[in-house]
Amino acid sequence: MAEDNLCIALNQVGKFVDTPDGKLDIVNNISLDVKYQEAVVIKGASGSGKTTLLGLMAGLDQASAGEVFLFGENLAGKSEEQRSAIRSGRVGFVFQSFHLVQGATAIQNVMLPLELSGVDGAHDQAQQSLHQVGLESKTDTLVEHLSGGEQQRVAIARAFAVKPRVLFADEPTGNLDATTGRQIADLMFHLRDQSGTTLVLVTHEGELLERGDRQILIESGRLLNGAAA
Amino acid sequence: MFVATVITVGIVTSSQLVTERIGLLLDRQASELLAADMVIVSSAEFDPAYRQAARQRGLQVSSSVSLRTAIFVDDDPRLVELKAVDDAYPLRGRLERAREVAGERSVSSEIPARGEVWVDTKLAQLVDQSLSLGETSFDTRWLLTFEPDRGGAIFNLAPRVLMNIADMPATGLVVPGSRVRYRMMFAGEQGDINRFKIWLTENLKPGEEVQDLENARPEMRQALERTRKFFALAIVLTLVIAMAAIAITARYTASREAPKVAMLRAFGISQKNLFRYYLKQLGGLWIAATIAGIAVGWVTQFPLQWALDGWFGRTLPQVYSLKPYFFAGLVGLLALAGFSLPYLINATATPPMQVLRTAVNRRSWLRGLLITGSAVVAIFGVLVLLMQSSMLAVATLAMVLVCAFALPLILGWMVKLLLFSSQRRFWLRQYLLSRLQASSRGAIYVMSGFSLVLIAILLIAVVKDELLGSWQEQLPEDIPNYFLINIRSDDIAAVGAYMQQHGIEASTPYALARARLTQINSIDVDEIDFLHPRADNMVRHTFNITHASEIPDQNEIVAGEWLDPDDPRGQLSVEQGMADRLELEIGDELTLTVGSKTLRAAVTSIRTVVWENFKPNFYLIANPGLLADLPQTGLLSALIEEQNKADLRRLLQRFPSITLLDITELMARVRNIVDKASVALQFFFLFALASALIVLLAAIQTGRHEREIESALLRALSAHTNQLYRVHVLEFTLMGALIGFFSACFATVAAWLISVQFFNIEFHFSASVWAYSLLSSCLVLTIAGIMVSRRVYNVSPMKILRS
Repeated sequence: MAEDNLCIALNQVGKFVDTPDGKLDIVNNISLDVKYQEAVVIKGASGSGKTTLLGLMAGLDQASAGEVFLFGENLAGKSEEQRSAIRSGRVGFVFQSFHLVQGATAIQNVMLPLELSGVDGAHDQAQQSLHQVGLESKTDTLVEHLSGGEQQRVAIARAFAVKPRVLFADEPTGNLDATTGRQIADLMFHLRDQSGTTLVLVTHEGELLERGDRQILIESGRLLNGAAA
Repeated sequence: MFVATVITVGIVTSSQLVTERIGLLLDRQASELLAADMVIVSSAEFDPAYRQAARQRGLQVSSSVSLRTAIFVDDDPRLVELKAVDDAYPLRGRLERAREVAGERSVSSEIPARGEVWVDTKLAQLVDQSLSLGETSFDTRWLLTFEPDRGGAIFNLAPRVLMNIADMPATGLVVPGSRVRYRMMFAGEQGDINRFKIWLTENLKPGEEVQDLENARPEMRQALERTRKFFALAIVLTLVIAMAAIAITARYTASREAPKVAMLRAFGISQKNLFRYYLKQLGGLWIAATIAGIAVGWVTQFPLQWALDGWFGRTLPQVYSLKPYFFAGLVGLLALAGFSLPYLINATATPPMQVLRTAVNRRSWLRGLLITGSAVVAIFGVLVLLMQSSMLAVATLAMVLVCAFALPLILGWMVKLLLFSSQRRFWLRQYLLSRLQASSRGAIYVMSGFSLVLIAILLIAVVKDELLGSWQEQLPEDIPNYFLINIRSDDIAAVGAYMQQHGIEASTPYALARARLTQINSIDVDEIDFLHPRADNMVRHTFNITHASEIPDQNEIVAGEWLDPDDPRGQLSVEQGMADRLELEIGDELTLTVGSKTLRAAVTSIRTVVWENFKPNFYLIANPGLLADLPQTGLLSALIEEQNKADLRRLLQRFPSITLLDITELMARVRNIVDKASVALQFFFLFALASALIVLLAAIQTGRHEREIESALLRALSAHTNQLYRVHVLEFTLMGALIGFFSACFATVAAWLISVQFFNIEFHFSASVWAYSLLSSCLVLTIAGIMVSRRVYNVSPMKILRS
């Protein structure tokens, strides 16, 4: 059973896949705790298993071994729908490739998860969120007409609009130049400080690494340091 | 998907409107055989309320009285069929008259004036003479060469004498006890007729019956039914194409939606909520597409009407019913739901992990089953909705399914075979084939979809050219043009011998008796609830029954064994349509009344009859022993050429009881229906081509983005545009060749099944189907390849790579 003050807890978690050459371990025997309001940065080389670990922590994927607790609930044996219900309204995401809905405006992108969650006043909430990321003048612009930095701002606005307890970010600055990346990182941490949201961030960018409360290093699917909060 | 749905709804609207209008036209032409749209007959005078009620409903009404009476021709008594008609007669069709037998025929808009009669060509010697009918004398002015409602019981006709109904009372022929046949005829708009028929059926008195085409002309009914089946098949095949377009576009849409779904699921949005969201979008799309499709369908009927008016030689009647629009909306809904919902359900199940890593969307067998099952239900629903014959619907569905399942497997296997059949030396070939396999099942599915479309088009072409051609062959120029009826049983052999002696091509003479079916397996037919709507009509009428030791030409046994001449027990061979309607099976015992006698016989065989061949055809054929000692008359059909006319005259002088029936006009009408069917099918063919174009565009659209990315990458890696252009065009050509080959295979098998099983038409292998299939497929896809490549190479590689 996870402790009450833990937002995420992993207990000897493993993830493997079957290949023609036998079982391949992607993540192996990882135990890790993340407290509420903590900012944890996961770092590692390409192919080290950091994105898989993020997916397991967020309940996007099911662990092959061990237990994952999110908001105190054990995700083991839970269906995708049940895991989805645990995330609903409590989790935000920011991705490297933005994952915005093309052909829709900035505000429509932010509103979409709110509306689908049945949130009242989705429009106002989305507008406020876009204001927070400095895009109040671009609310009705189609996302494909925005720059990379602006698109990532929309994605951050979308993530924070649901008022998440935890925000998962996968290489949020990976597709941006250094200056824009810095602005995005500032924005994300600023919003996190304002809202007290827990932050789990996967990156290999030095600057972002420095800004986390704790760094976790992963190599070949194994945790090298930073397991304990 | 929107465009594909608009096309589907448009096709249904337009085809339903046009087929309803053609159907009405054909019905109207059929009505000309009744001289009205509906007729009631009785041996007693009708209640004047019928006439009043019909007029109140805006219908035209006409009455006639007919009876048999004797006249004297050169002091010889002759039995004639006297018919008295009013000024409104005929409500449909026309009368034709001539001054002499070989003289010019003219259409008459009048009926005989008071005091005059028109007589059958058989009574030509009476023209310009006085003719006594009962207590009155009449002037014989014209020969009656054609009257539309010559009557269903054609084999029992005596020569016709036509008079004005106003003269009838003066003849004194209608007295209590005389065998008079009263007919009241009605004509008007179909809706008014239908409403009046409902009212009339509720108010008919015993002994009064409604006569329609069913009991009037089996050969016309079969021709019309066959035409409708052709239409239905053409529409369904066109719809298959349109639905393939929906399926391809739905698959494309669903695959495009997958990243969005993954993102939303990562945010914790439930599958249920996502499904509801897409359902709402789909509902909106259906409403918009239905409105647009109905508008498109409604508008396209006008150029079609213009084209068909010219061909048909008359204006197509208007359709005021909402049914075509309702059907169109329903078909659009079924097609959209059946083909796109499963894909969307599948899309809503996109694993959220896909937001982090492009994982394969795990497709469970259950979801595969859902996609297939839903498509099957949709196609079946549409087929049953639109087609009269559900068996044909099931068979078409089965064929579509076999194609849909088999094609991806076969095409995938074929590409694999080509890909790995030799060592990878020739990069272009390897690259080309891997292109077909790649993106990967997508390309195979698009190929399968296009192949399905081509099969449907080929089948429409087969129906249009080959099947109709075969049908026309069943109506060769040298089929009989005369029936010789009322041959006395003693004269049958002598008449046959006379024909042979004078080299006149004639059928075997048949002895006829009129029978009424009274019991099936000792249960009165009145007490049996038949499921078939036409069954009651059949048991109310008398049939011609004949005996034969050999099965007549173009009849084919489909169940049981042909009559055994050595078996003394009563045996009957029943026509398949009659057996279906009355639910008769081999071994059932039928009780028939012939005159005052009752016969019992077992059904020993069920056979098909080609009614349109104009040879003597029968619902019931008995073994010779069964009809012995019963009153019979003879019948034969003959092809009488101009040079034989004199022989025919001598024959009629020698056997004065014979009535000669000229069926040239009837034959021309059936031929006309076949020709019209052919013209109408051209129209469906055009529709099929239009929707095939949509499939093609959808197919092109499906792979466009991948192609753009790929070509941008290859161009960035210094590949020559011309090089890539050639590869892409070749890829499409190869795809075309594969599609053409398999489509021709499937179309040939399906055409064989349809023609033999459902249209009872001999199947001929068509090399042109193969030629069309291969050539058109290669050509169309090569052009598509050129179009796709042009668009792909017009996009800046930088733009693609940045995106």
